[in-house]
Amino acid sequence: MVPATARDNRPVPARAGIGLRFQHHRAVLEAAPDVAFMEVHTENYMGGGSPIHCLEAVRRDFPLSLHGVGLSLGSAEGLDPAHLDRVRRVAERIEPALVSEHVAWSVSGGAYLADLLPLPMTEEALAAVCRNVDRMQDTLRRRILVENPSTYVQFRHSTIPEWEFMTAVAARTGCGILCDVNNIFVSAENHGWDASAYVANLPPAAIGEIHLAGHGVRELPDGGMLRIDDHGSRVIDKVWSLYGEALRRFGPVPTLIEWDTEVPPLDVLVGEAHHADALILVASDGAGRADAA
Amino acid sequence: MRSFSSQATEPDVPTLLEVQSAMRRGLLDGRDPAAAAVLAGVLAPADRLGIHRNTSRGTLTKALRLNFPAVERIVGEDFFAAAADEFIAHNPPGTAWLDLYGERFAEFLQIFAPAASLAYLPDVARLERCVCSALHAAGARPLECARLLDIAPSAQAGLRLTPHPSVSLVSSVYPVDDIWRAVLAGDDAALAAIDLAAGAVHLLVERRADEIAVTRLEKRRWMFADALVSGHSLASSFEIAGDADAARWLAEHLTAGHFIAFALDPAPPAVSEHEP
Repeated sequence: MVPATARDNRPVPARAGIGLRFQHHRAVLEAAPDVAFMEVHTENYMGGGSPIHCLEAVRRDFPLSLHGVGLSLGSAEGLDPAHLDRVRRVAERIEPALVSEHVAWSVSGGAYLADLLPLPMTEEALAAVCRNVDRMQDTLRRRILVENPSTYVQFRHSTIPEWEFMTAVAARTGCGILCDVNNIFVSAENHGWDASAYVANLPPAAIGEIHLAGHGVRELPDGGMLRIDDHGSRVIDKVWSLYGEALRRFGPVPTLIEWDTEVPPLDVLVGEAHHADALILVASDGAGRADAA
Repeated sequence: MRSFSSQATEPDVPTLLEVQSAMRRGLLDGRDPAAAAVLAGVLAPADRLGIHRNTSRGTLTKALRLNFPAVERIVGEDFFAAAADEFIAHNPPGTAWLDLYGERFAEFLQIFAPAASLAYLPDVARLERCVCSALHAAGARPLECARLLDIAPSAQAGLRLTPHPSVSLVSSVYPVDDIWRAVLAGDDAALAAIDLAAGAVHLLVERRADEIAVTRLEKRRWMFADALVSGHSLASSFEIAGDADAARWLAEHLTAGHFIAFALDPAPPAVSEHEP
């Protein structure tokens, strides 16, 4: 269950942050951008040398979030102890305000498959994810956040709606939810779900962070369309709109702008963060007015 | 594995382990019929696994390009992608920490028939593996030479040194350091001037500050350094070096920060003392 102490000595304010990319390291150190926090992929900082030294320098000025992609919380075989130890060592060195991973899997039979792969939404998968989240929280001695996936396939034997699956993981382990609003939109479009209903069914108290990103669109041979979560463009209007719904339900939440491919200049990322900040402000004001009414 | 109530009522439903195993085989080898059969029964639609196969291959190919940039420049982007495809299918990474992916890439290039005419290519890959390892090695404080002065002469023979994590040694019958530098610098003139028959090179690779240094050592000196780095005792290393300069070499390696710790073999039970 949730450890007693989280060592959150640099909490993240409920404002927008950006992903820290290698190509922006120097710019960030030379002139601190006007964002609330920065997030990195944990796996990029597991070695020595200049990357981790740069991250330590950024850490002096900004709260940091460690977002892992390779621990494979959905693996039936459990967690790779060596990789878990590497995650623990990065977290101990960086003392991040947030640590997160994905409700997905990427490791099987000792092979890392280099993608976030979909899980059947079954009791068996739920039990596996909860076991692995418990193990991760026990080892890191902190509460972690788990991110909802974007998916292109479903499993015929799934029995649990994804939003219930996410809620159950949080309820059973005490972990938080990293609500990726773009992923909800992408999955909902791909599978015919109601994105607003997904957001409305997540427990507000469990939401520790929100992700926003762009996605790609691919035409299928049958004339249909598939949305691909490629994090390679601006957030689209419909996702900003869904984000607004999320803020009205959850209240202000630290929000990260994700942009991993075709990375633009730093000021474009900061611009997207400021757009999120404006929506957080509007949602906060709205809540204030509603309370006063 | 304990069966869950949902599985008990539907005996044909694969377990999570079975699903993940089938997807792994489907991703690594798209032609695996057994995997395809499992996936056809559970995935809707089954052909969408191709999206994940593309992402997976793309990510791993990019990791190999980052780790072996000189090899890629030598063979070109398309050839490298084809080689990477073949390598990945049979050598998926064992970990999500991809900074060091491609440990067996040099050995793979040795047997990859389309690259057979580039006899020096596997050794360039071996050098790049050392460079990559040096780039991402943990930092460590060098051993202070003064600490070794406290060791009794009788114990010095049994001294074993721990190398700095970024230090490695590699040798080749080809001038792979010159090839590596010229290729990465895009220096066509330097490349044209390389004589592949110039003789073997013995290289020490290390990280200094944030730069990677690749230095040629004379053969005996390289063998001495290789013995020390491999954990041979000082006595054994001196014997391998067989050179009166070995003591000076040791001092230079220590001053250069190539070692971070030492251990002493337990003293032998015999009464007689040994001079190193």
